[in-house]
Amino acid sequence: MKTPFRLDEHPRRPQPPLAPPAAEYFDQLPRRVMQRVRPAAEPAPLWGWLARLSAPARTALASVVLLLTFVGSFWLTSRPSGRPAAGITRRTNAARALAAVPRAEAVQYLLSDAAPRVTLADLADTHVAERALPTEFLPGTDAEIQAALDEQPSLDVYL
Amino acid sequence: MEDQDILLKFRDPASRNLAFNQLVRKYQSKVYWHVRKMVVDHADADDLTQDVFIKVWSHLDNFRQDASLYTWIYRIATNECLNFLSSKRRKFFLPLNDVGAELAQKLEADEQLAGDTVELKLQKAILRLPDKQRLVFNLRYYDEMPYEQMAEVTGTSVGALKASYHHAVKKIEQYVNQETD
Repeated sequence: MKTPFRLDEHPRRPQPPLAPPAAEYFDQLPRRVMQRVRPAAEPAPLWGWLARLSAPARTALASVVLLLTFVGSFWLTSRPSGRPAAGITRRTNAARALAAVPRAEAVQYLLSDAAPRVTLADLADTHVAERALPTEFLPGTDAEIQAALDEQPSLDVYL
Repeated sequence: MEDQDILLKFRDPASRNLAFNQLVRKYQSKVYWHVRKMVVDHADADDLTQDVFIKVWSHLDNFRQDASLYTWIYRIATNECLNFLSSKRRKFFLPLNDVGAELAQKLEADEQLAGDTVELKLQKAILRLPDKQRLVFNLRYYDEMPYEQMAEVTGTSVGALKASYHHAVKKIEQYVNQETD
């Protein structure tokens, strides 16, 4: 009859009989470990703290930064402007500069060939931008202008 | 060199590397074999041993000396082993027995066990234990660690450790006897 196996009767070994590592393994291990830890021991770069964060923390930080970017851009674009727009400022400066030009000099310039031809688009723009402008240079009252217009032969625009 | 001297030198930037080198030399064999018993394969044990010492390097400044340095390093090594085995199961969707079978295959391929059938059965029986019970068995049977120190390493009560070891021995004897019949 076989004797049942009992652990306390089995010869105890200091460790399982596994194949030991190569002879030089423990001589080289400290150097290999030091090679892996030394880069971390060097002064951390500016973004070193980011690398030290765990992956979930980095993901959370990226989400917060993205959210703050959206909030910031929304705030900047939606706040009421305290200063006039750049276009309005430019137009005001141009009007002031034009007012400073002597009248005779302006007339001389307009009569010369150097003056660009005024196009229909320029007139349309002037009319839309400054509705009160025609009253400053058109001769006659509203009634006189209307009478002058009525005297013009009407064209049949349908033909 | 005493642990206290190593810790003092480690805190001085000028002797930090030297102190850590001495720490690795002092504990590398114990850590390696502690890990090797759990993962069996040398390559895995090598990776994990290096990882353990890198963690030691990273956290040694925060070591409060509530436990001995040796116990603290053992605890890191234990957690690394358990995490490794757990992640291996998760990665390959393996049940408990499949990892045990894989480790048993590595055992059979080991030249040191060739021809020693009883020892091979004993090692296979140990590998069939759940990871934490196997850890308790290794610490008690091979390292002959006192239960109080085991409690510090594993974070388990002495009573629970004694019960776990007792059950492990029973399971191992039962397996070896079954395999012999």
